[in-house]
Amino acid sequence: MKIEESKKLQFLEKMIFIRQFEYKIIDFARTGKIYGSVHLCVGEEACAVGTGFAFKKEDYILPTHRGHGQAIARGTDPKKLLAEISAKETGLCKGRVGSMHFFDKENNIVGCQGILGAQFPIAVGVGLAINLRKEDSIAACYFGDGTSNQGLFYEGMNFASIWDLPILFICLNNLYGMGTHYKKTCKIDIYEKAKLFGIKTDTADGNDVEEVYEKTLKLSEYIRKNKKPGLIELYTYRWLGHSALDSRPYRPKEEVEEWIKKDPIKRYEEKLLKEGIPVEEIDAVKASVEKQIEETAKFAEESPFPEFTKDMEI
Amino acid sequence: MTRDLTYAEALREAMREEMEKDKGVFLVGEDVGQGYRGCFAVSTGLYEEFGPYQIIDTPISENTILGCGIGASLVGMKPIVEMMFADFVAVAFDGILNQAAKVRMMSANQYKLNLVIRLPGGSKNGTGPQHSQSLESIFMSIPGIKIACPVTPYDAKGLLKEAINHEDPVIFFEHKKLYSLKGPVPEEEYKIPFGVARIAREGKDLTIIAISYMVNVALEAAEILKEKHNLEIEVIDPRTIVPFDLETVGKSLKKTNKAIIIEEGIKRDGVGAEISSLIMENFFDYLDFPVKRIASKNSIIPMSPRLEKAVIPNKESVVKEIEDLLIL
Repeated sequence: MKIEESKKLQFLEKMIFIRQFEYKIIDFARTGKIYGSVHLCVGEEACAVGTGFAFKKEDYILPTHRGHGQAIARGTDPKKLLAEISAKETGLCKGRVGSMHFFDKENNIVGCQGILGAQFPIAVGVGLAINLRKEDSIAACYFGDGTSNQGLFYEGMNFASIWDLPILFICLNNLYGMGTHYKKTCKIDIYEKAKLFGIKTDTADGNDVEEVYEKTLKLSEYIRKNKKPGLIELYTYRWLGHSALDSRPYRPKEEVEEWIKKDPIKRYEEKLLKEGIPVEEIDAVKASVEKQIEETAKFAEESPFPEFTKDMEI
Repeated sequence: MTRDLTYAEALREAMREEMEKDKGVFLVGEDVGQGYRGCFAVSTGLYEEFGPYQIIDTPISENTILGCGIGASLVGMKPIVEMMFADFVAVAFDGILNQAAKVRMMSANQYKLNLVIRLPGGSKNGTGPQHSQSLESIFMSIPGIKIACPVTPYDAKGLLKEAINHEDPVIFFEHKKLYSLKGPVPEEEYKIPFGVARIAREGKDLTIIAISYMVNVALEAAEILKEKHNLEIEVIDPRTIVPFDLETVGKSLKKTNKAIIIEEGIKRDGVGAEISSLIMENFFDYLDFPVKRIASKNSIIPMSPRLEKAVIPNKESVVKEIEDLLIL
């Protein structure tokens, strides 16, 4: 597949943006500017961007509790997202829910999931609606390796399979469910579990944005055309803890270092340089991200906190 | 024109009319279509009429069945989810507690859930501890959902039509003993708004607020007490317990000065506990004595008829409790 240079630069820009966005949250956390818990996706940017760019406007997205990158790649306004995480009135959900439970109707994000596994039955419902109304959209249901051990995962696979639902299940396998390694929790690979239900599967290097993009696009086209579900498992790693300031004693140092060497952004930058994209263009991307991040942070910081309104009482 | 329909027929008619009007209305659940046509045959004939796109049979997976409703509603459809027995909704509890109930408030009104969850509840024919419960009170403590518990066929139809078009999730309790009972239902279009109680019997001496099938038990007890002691008992059927029509209760208590609440759910932290507190907070000065709660014992719903009778209020036990209370 030939990917245009402009798109490649967009991939790079979005990945750098997502990483800087996450680091800005750490800044905010350290200086008491955010409340509640946040789950960051540093190291997993290629998964978010590669998948996010493969969807169409009319598709529905169900991000995980670690969903900032997934939403930004989808098109969510990062100002509104950071304002939400900072508990501000201008946030996506008026500062009511923070990092883990936001909705963004403008971008068909039908809700992030704070309850791991609860996205599967909801994705089934969205997929069912798409079929009943004969839409061409698909439902993209993100989940992590650990979540594939919920019973709801298997129910979701079963419903998607028997009803031929247009759902793309996207597993971000970052090896750990909080602090527990996947190998300790299940003997079967996640894509193998989906195969048991006759679901078409694929796997990809989750730190290679172009591979993620191409394979996601291919599988979503299959889903759209055949009205059947698919599952893609992306192998990646979260550099930081389960939550923003977790000390992560459960992972060997060498393992973390090994994965940092596979940095999806550095790798991609080097690839683009090798392909002949001038370094000035890459520097321009970085400068543009820096500016956007500052504007995003300023917007969140300067926004007011919300007041309790009557519609919050049902 | 009004004709007599059973409660089940009235529910079916409500679903049929709404499905005809709007293709976004569908029924999903275990055995709702081909085969059983609903565990209590409520959806008889609907599969033949509307086909597999509006009457959807599922695997035995309550959690994902509810998810079908939540997901489809998120993208603008109007699903009706049927749980085979109310008890089974426990399997899908996350979907209600953490998902459906919270969508509107969490999303700051970006999304509203037009979702009905039909729950055949209550005790009938000794179906025992996991098939007989009255679970209204559990759901009362979850902000974000409405709870309907119609007693007459007229209310069953009118409230279900309202629920199908309501913009918050509705838990719709259908007592299994009511399905075969008949009552007048007009052919003309009507809906019943939530939060408006029905005076099932007028009286001046005592107010009974009864939930679901206990309305009928209260009416029978009222008849007996009228004959035995010439008591004029007022029976209020709230029809929806969230929202709750406190105003109608207040008006009645101003007249009778005595309040009794009867429910089939267990007494501890039951619907009666909440209503009783509301009465104490708002109408304390009207009362001659503390609000009396009559409810099932804090037990399982046993299978043996003798034990079942010992646990769940019935007309004899209600009469006795009222006689004891009034020292008659």
